[in-house]
Amino acid sequence: MAKPPKAFATTGRSRKGEPLVWLTALGLTLGVLMTLWLLGLVVYKGCQTFWPDRLQVFEVKTDSGTEKVAGYEVLDRDRRDGDGNLHHEVQLFRGNVELYGEKFVFLDSSSIVSREQADDLLLVERLAGGNVIGRAKAIELADGSRMGPEDPSFEDELEALIEVNEDRRDELRDVEKFQIGKNSKRIKELELKKRLIADGKVGGSIPEIDAELEKLQAEYEELFAEKVKIEELMKARHLYIEAVDGREIVISGESLLHVLRPNEVGFFGRLGEMLRRIWNFLTMDPREANTEGGVYPAIFGTVIMTIVMSLFVTPFGVIAAIYLREYAKQGPFVRAVRISVNNLAGVPSIVFGVFGLAFFIYFVGGVVDGVFFPNAEEPVYKSGGILWASLTLALLTVPVVIVATEEALAAVPRGVREAALACGASKWQAIQRVVLPASLPGILTGVILAMARGAGEVAPLMLVGVVKSAPDLPIDVTAPFIHPERQFMHLGFHIYDLGFQSPDSEAAKPMVFATTLLLITIVVVMNLAAIIIRNRLRKKYATSSF
Amino acid sequence: MSPTKSPEPDPQRFEVSKGTLLLDRAMTHLIRVGGLAVILAVFGIFFFILKEIIPLFSKAEVEVEALMEAPGPENSNSNSLALGVDEWGEKPFLYQGGSAITIVDVETGAREILPVPMLEGVEVTAVSSDPVKRRIAVGTADGRVGSFVVTYGAEFDEEGRRTVVPSVEEEPWFEVEEGAGPVRELAYGEGGSRRIVVVARDLGTSLIELRQKRGLIGGEKLTRAGETAVGDQLGSDVSSVVASNNGKEALIATQSGAVYYFLIDGGEAVLKQTFKPFDGDPPVQMDYLFGGVSVAMTDASGDQKIFSLFRPEGSVDRLFGQIKEFAPVGAGLPIFAPSLRNKSFLTGAGGRLSLRHLTSGETRWEGEASFEPVAAAIDGKTEHFFIAGAEGQIQRYTFDDPHPESGWTAFFGKVWYEGGSEPVYQWQSTGGSDDFEPKLSLVPLIIGSLKGTFYALLFSVPVALLAAVFSASFLPHDMKKVVKPAMEIMASLPSVVLGFLAGIWLAPIIEDKIPSILLVCLSLPVAALLMGVIWCRQPMQVRRWLEGGREWMVMVPVVLGVSWAAWSLGPLLERLAFVYEDPATGRAIADFRLWWPQATGLSYDQRNCVVVGFMMGFAVIPVIFTISEDALSNVPKTLTAASSALGASRWQVVRSIIIPVASPGIFSALMIGFGRAVGETMIMVMATGNTPVTEWNIMNGMRTLAANIAVELPEAAPGSTHYRTLFLGALVLFVLTFTLNSVAEILRQRLREKNKLV
Repeated sequence: MAKPPKAFATTGRSRKGEPLVWLTALGLTLGVLMTLWLLGLVVYKGCQTFWPDRLQVFEVKTDSGTEKVAGYEVLDRDRRDGDGNLHHEVQLFRGNVELYGEKFVFLDSSSIVSREQADDLLLVERLAGGNVIGRAKAIELADGSRMGPEDPSFEDELEALIEVNEDRRDELRDVEKFQIGKNSKRIKELELKKRLIADGKVGGSIPEIDAELEKLQAEYEELFAEKVKIEELMKARHLYIEAVDGREIVISGESLLHVLRPNEVGFFGRLGEMLRRIWNFLTMDPREANTEGGVYPAIFGTVIMTIVMSLFVTPFGVIAAIYLREYAKQGPFVRAVRISVNNLAGVPSIVFGVFGLAFFIYFVGGVVDGVFFPNAEEPVYKSGGILWASLTLALLTVPVVIVATEEALAAVPRGVREAALACGASKWQAIQRVVLPASLPGILTGVILAMARGAGEVAPLMLVGVVKSAPDLPIDVTAPFIHPERQFMHLGFHIYDLGFQSPDSEAAKPMVFATTLLLITIVVVMNLAAIIIRNRLRKKYATSSF
Repeated sequence: MSPTKSPEPDPQRFEVSKGTLLLDRAMTHLIRVGGLAVILAVFGIFFFILKEIIPLFSKAEVEVEALMEAPGPENSNSNSLALGVDEWGEKPFLYQGGSAITIVDVETGAREILPVPMLEGVEVTAVSSDPVKRRIAVGTADGRVGSFVVTYGAEFDEEGRRTVVPSVEEEPWFEVEEGAGPVRELAYGEGGSRRIVVVARDLGTSLIELRQKRGLIGGEKLTRAGETAVGDQLGSDVSSVVASNNGKEALIATQSGAVYYFLIDGGEAVLKQTFKPFDGDPPVQMDYLFGGVSVAMTDASGDQKIFSLFRPEGSVDRLFGQIKEFAPVGAGLPIFAPSLRNKSFLTGAGGRLSLRHLTSGETRWEGEASFEPVAAAIDGKTEHFFIAGAEGQIQRYTFDDPHPESGWTAFFGKVWYEGGSEPVYQWQSTGGSDDFEPKLSLVPLIIGSLKGTFYALLFSVPVALLAAVFSASFLPHDMKKVVKPAMEIMASLPSVVLGFLAGIWLAPIIEDKIPSILLVCLSLPVAALLMGVIWCRQPMQVRRWLEGGREWMVMVPVVLGVSWAAWSLGPLLERLAFVYEDPATGRAIADFRLWWPQATGLSYDQRNCVVVGFMMGFAVIPVIFTISEDALSNVPKTLTAASSALGASRWQVVRSIIIPVASPGIFSALMIGFGRAVGETMIMVMATGNTPVTEWNIMNGMRTLAANIAVELPEAAPGSTHYRTLFLGALVLFVLTFTLNSVAEILRQRLREKNKLV
């Protein structure tokens, strides 16, 4: 039998340039792997911060014998010193700042004599000063006597102490934040009014105001006494912890938040602890220069800013797109406008921040302050705030919405539009009843993409009102409830601030990774939603085209 | 018959209801107005930023005000005239060599004569004035030196109106021991407790050192600490002298044109330097500029040069060197007045006035005076300047020059700053002291932006283009639906997250792993090519097992394995190739971090372009990928099918058809990627170290325009030069990216139309 010519043996599969095809495959593989790697890294590192690690007791060689230290391993790495020698090191979280000064320590592997898991170790969360690791020594009861851990009711007492203090903390917050806050705000208002009357700018009687001020002062003193009373009650009881090297740590009831025995709980116990930590992370205020506690204000700020932004960006973006697509006369001018709008999406975000600072804050804010708050001591709207930040981001993201809406409008088949007009609909009726509903998913995609971009953007916010720690939320229960001039916290800026401006960057790391995970989750979920909606949309039009 | 329906059609049957029409018209207008407004608003950004920048390029505005008269006392002589002014420019004083000073109120024109008792019956032959301390030093015919200080106090009445109250503070007299004859030239420099007086008499020149000591009971006493004769060291007669306000330096110019620089060091006056600023012409005017580092000198023909103290290369001492040369001020007796706030100064000669600035080397304003001035002064707030004529005329000018240090040279040219040994491009917007000279060159920032972009593109362009080619040409459709969203997710990663991971997490990890990274970068393409060679050598049965377009999945384990192997082999490469030899001990250490500076002479930083380039990849790869993938997949099927039918292999189709046809699209993708990288802010802020450098070293960081704005703008005072300069940086970014994107967009549209026609 005649052999077929060799060239045809690989029909359609010529080998020419095949290695280069593989090279291009490498590009795609790298791109996909990089994305997966980054997402995996963030998820892993983020979850790690919530997962309760087992505590270990390390015996470490020192110059004068050995020393015991308890904690959990954070990192293990090889370090090269100046002479090029390798050292294997373990980074340990040991807490107990009042004993050691630093929460984290690097131990050279060669100096570790032994390491073991001790069951009775406690991990105590505190309001101030960070976590404490050690063994329970005693708890102070209401009558001042001490109860040791050998007592069967020790656990119950401890739990009761934590619970009662939680209630008292709520009570304290109510007194401090709402009642005293309200009181001092009123005093401030009256004092300003008094000054204005003295200057002859407004009418009123000074003695009347003085009388009210006196009343308020008395009320303040009462409230203050109440606050002190609650604080004393909380401070009265203590938990005594013995660190593994035998030294004692006293934790005041005021500071005590939570006690965990990470070496005794099983998998589900640890899972529960993890969920508790995640919940706290999402709902609590930050503590200890943002390195502990939660990110609730940052979540709140991010969400409110994004919503306000989309309230601005949606109508304006859609109107501009309808104008460009349906009303403007198509020609070189509209084409140029379209190209420019498209390109604005590629202008660096910081440029929008610069514009926001100069235009919204210094110009518009200055005018608003001059007209409405001529007597204010400090700038009200002439400083960064959530309204200006939202407007700046709206400007930044409006090209995204315009482009997406235009695409969606263009995708509505011509026949549908013409049918509507033929039925006697006016132009606006056709748009309102037929074109807009059909392009709604596309518009929605654009808005979601804009929101995702806005939520993840940080650089312009740094110029227009984001701060590392805002005492008050932009929406709260004090009149007028919505405070668009207030500065706010933002998840993205929180990451920047914790990672780069934090005094203790080591202690901040877990928080940064957790915040990163949260931000990435929000942004990725939003983007996925947009992608899914868009794909559905494509399918819909794919089937309806004939 | 029942009434029948009218057969006539209702004429209004086909009419649209008024409400609908009204709504339609309203919506038309609303959308027109709204749409145009949004578009205008978006473009307003450009004009608003431009508006903030324009003041940077405008000159000083000067307004002439009323002329005042202050005729001097009888025993005055016009050669020894001194002019000074209070901080607010309200009450200038004039000293005309007598025993009193005349103070004129600018508002009312009222004159006030303040006697200076110690000058009673003294013949004054030399006067020097210090604009900073408002000290007038006088030298007499019998060889004595004295001084007094004019101080201004501010008093406020109940309504908060300010009244400036002048007074004279006397200081002790000193006998000059050296030389003989009247004092001809005089300079007095005060630097806190140390003072220096330069006295030139007919026969002999000396430097007198004064010390202020705290008395036992309090109060301070000024004593003479020493006097050094320097006349022997000077070649000829003295023409002009100046002393610095740190009480240490003195410059003496002689008729031969030489300037002698003396430094008081440990109680001794040492001649440090002799130089001839005008090739033989003697300088007739020498004065320190604000900050006391630079001296402005003018010769009789009006040439003006600035000399500044700096350490020349190879010298231990700081010596004077020329850093600027200004246009001639005109012939005649030059006048000079430094600003007390910045490096501006007022100068002029023979009736011409000129306001200049040291940093930019620019003349901010020029004008003619109505008389020939012999003295000038600028007030403390830099709002007014005064000139005085020989007959006691005083003229006030109001000037407004908010941004004297700006200009094209300052932003984009090499500038020789005070104290520097050569002209440089430098960005240093704020300094520790009031007399700091801001260095506002945008060049290091632009270079930083381009450098970051270059290294980012170096990594992302190959990856993105290879991926785009594979995805557009080989990837099966069902897989594309998964891969493209993955890339979109990559594009959506917030840059603050990337920056944080780069700066805090990645940088320390790869700090000592550069050889590993090098090895990974080299081995991956080799491994891919090798895989291709091996694969196509396999028999058809094996190859059929893998459908076309799934190669990238095979590459996943290959990439992981090869990377891991290369990563572990990194230390080996380091021991082979990157061995640092300690010059002190001769020990060999295999460490890239030490090797790099030794081998290249460049620095090594933890936050370097390798880290930045890699992390920027996450931001740039998806942009380039998406756009070029679009262009590649839109190549008409007819072309590729024809080429395949003619027997081209799949790579040949790509190389000879798809890539050439889509090349404008690929090019525009690169441009848009470039724009994205140039403007990236958070990654640059967090991962570059933010040092403004002008070198292209891959192993250190940079400061980019965008990062610079993010870091400095929150601190900049609105309306200041610094603030506006940052706006200028933003405008540069805006224009750069907007132009790039527009060109790219036009290219893409052309391509789209061309492909439609095919």
